[in-house]
Amino acid sequence: MEYTHTLVDLNYLDLIIALSLMLIAAGLYRWYRIGLEVALIIGTVRTFIQLLAVGYVLKFIFDFNRWYLIVLTLLVMIAVATRTVVQRQQRKTKELPYIVGFAITVGSGITLFVITQVIIQIEPWYEPHYLIPLAGMIIGNSLNGSTLAVERLDSEIASRRMEIEAYLALGATARQAALSCIRSAMKAAMIPTINSMMVVGIVSLPGMMTGQILSGTSPFLAVKYQIIIMYMIAFSVAISSFLLTHLRFRRYFTAEHQLREEAFS
Amino acid sequence: MVCRVKFELINVSKIKNGKPILRNINLQFLSGSKYTILGPSGSGKTTLLRLLNRMEEPSSGEILFDGENIKNIPVTKLRKKVGMVFQIPVVFEGTVEDNLLVPYSIKGIPPDKEEIKKALTLSGLKESFLSQRAMDLSVGEKQRLNLARALLNNPEVLLLDEPTSALDYETALTLLDSVNELNRVLGLTIIMVTHQVEHMRILNGSAIYIENGTVLDKKTTQSRALI
Ligand SMILES: Nc1ncnc2c1ncn2[C@@H]1O[C@H](COP(=O)(O)OP(=O)(O)O)[C@@H](O)[C@H]1O
Ligand SMILES: [Mg+2]
Repeated sequence: MEYTHTLVDLNYLDLIIALSLMLIAAGLYRWYRIGLEVALIIGTVRTFIQLLAVGYVLKFIFDFNRWYLIVLTLLVMIAVATRTVVQRQQRKTKELPYIVGFAITVGSGITLFVITQVIIQIEPWYEPHYLIPLAGMIIGNSLNGSTLAVERLDSEIASRRMEIEAYLALGATARQAALSCIRSAMKAAMIPTINSMMVVGIVSLPGMMTGQILSGTSPFLAVKYQIIIMYMIAFSVAISSFLLTHLRFRRYFTAEHQLREEAFS
Repeated sequence: MVCRVKFELINVSKIKNGKPILRNINLQFLSGSKYTILGPSGSGKTTLLRLLNRMEEPSSGEILFDGENIKNIPVTKLRKKVGMVFQIPVVFEGTVEDNLLVPYSIKGIPPDKEEIKKALTLSGLKESFLSQRAMDLSVGEKQRLNLARALLNNPEVLLLDEPTSALDYETALTLLDSVNELNRVLGLTIIMVTHQVEHMRILNGSAIYIENGTVLDKKTTQSRALI
């Protein structure tokens, strides 16, 4: 490797210079009475605090470097993702956190295993410099896909209730009757991922790739990583939304393939 | 004609959200016969029909189909033998043909073009409808499409829940003619809900009068139905 370029160190004065640009932006918005200056300031402060905190946490995890702490970190990430998906839903039923948690764990778990153990083959298997950022990207995308899948499935089933009953009356099973709603939900979950695969590199440079290039990685290596990441994201969204829709639609039906009245109220 | 009992209801009651909807219903429906269920709105007619193909469960009592408790018949099999046409016709995405392919895809068998054409004709639709978008049909045509779709399961019984209520006068009468034809040609048992006495006369079956969740006796039924 001829790449010897390394990232320039930044001190707190550099951060303050960037911060002053934020003040100019907020001032501009205040001057024009757009009314967002407070939100801008809050966002500025939160970005600072949150990222600084994450920096310390990551530094601690990397330095401590024990498998159980890293596994625990992954579990916390999944728990937070699950909570976010559930909070965004209108019908927060009792079982929803469990099925969302299960779908995200399996979907991103398989993906993370393949990328770290089969493709990159990290040493040791829990090497946090790889595992944690990769998990972040994959779980984050599973989160978005799962949110869309549940949202769409619920709204489709509610709005197509008559069609579903007509299917059941023809002797369809609950799954057959719900299939077109499941399809819509899985489609809705995947569309943002497809959109980003369509424009990646043309309209946008992904954050991870940019970061790798900035820190001196050969662009080709960075690109190879990014290609793998994109495929892995699509895969984990597919698995998560498949599992989630199939676990979710059941609540609308009885074991005898009848619509459950209570599920709609 | 064999006068077998097709459906038998024994002490059937239905309670929804603590409210009694049907009380102690005892009824027999004979194979190949026609029945009209009459009664004011909210009296429980739709609920009664939906118990017969197990879209809903009775709260107590038993329902026998060909002498067998319907709970012991796989529900998807029962519903193929007992077709249902709803008050408001339901069409699926795509063409009329796509709609008629649904029963085959449910059963997982290849479609039979001849059977489809036959069901279409029996329901009073021309073959030229096959390529039309189902959403674009008139309400009457949609209701006929629903009838044809149910026929593709080769049912023994047809449950019709006010199938004519969304139709204009003439269309309603021709639909009833088709239903009579299905009974005559295929020997289907017909159980139809209506609240129009004229439709009951055209169907010319036995009248069952429901009021407040109970079936009225023969004498009261006659006096109500003859008004
Ligand atoms: N889910 C339900 N919960 C409570 N009551 C219901 C429910 N569905 C229907 N009902 C009531 O059951 C009664 C009978 O309804 P239905 O069988 O549709 O009557 P009909 O078809 O004769 O008009 C009505 O009073 C209706 O308000
Ligand atoms: Mg009704």
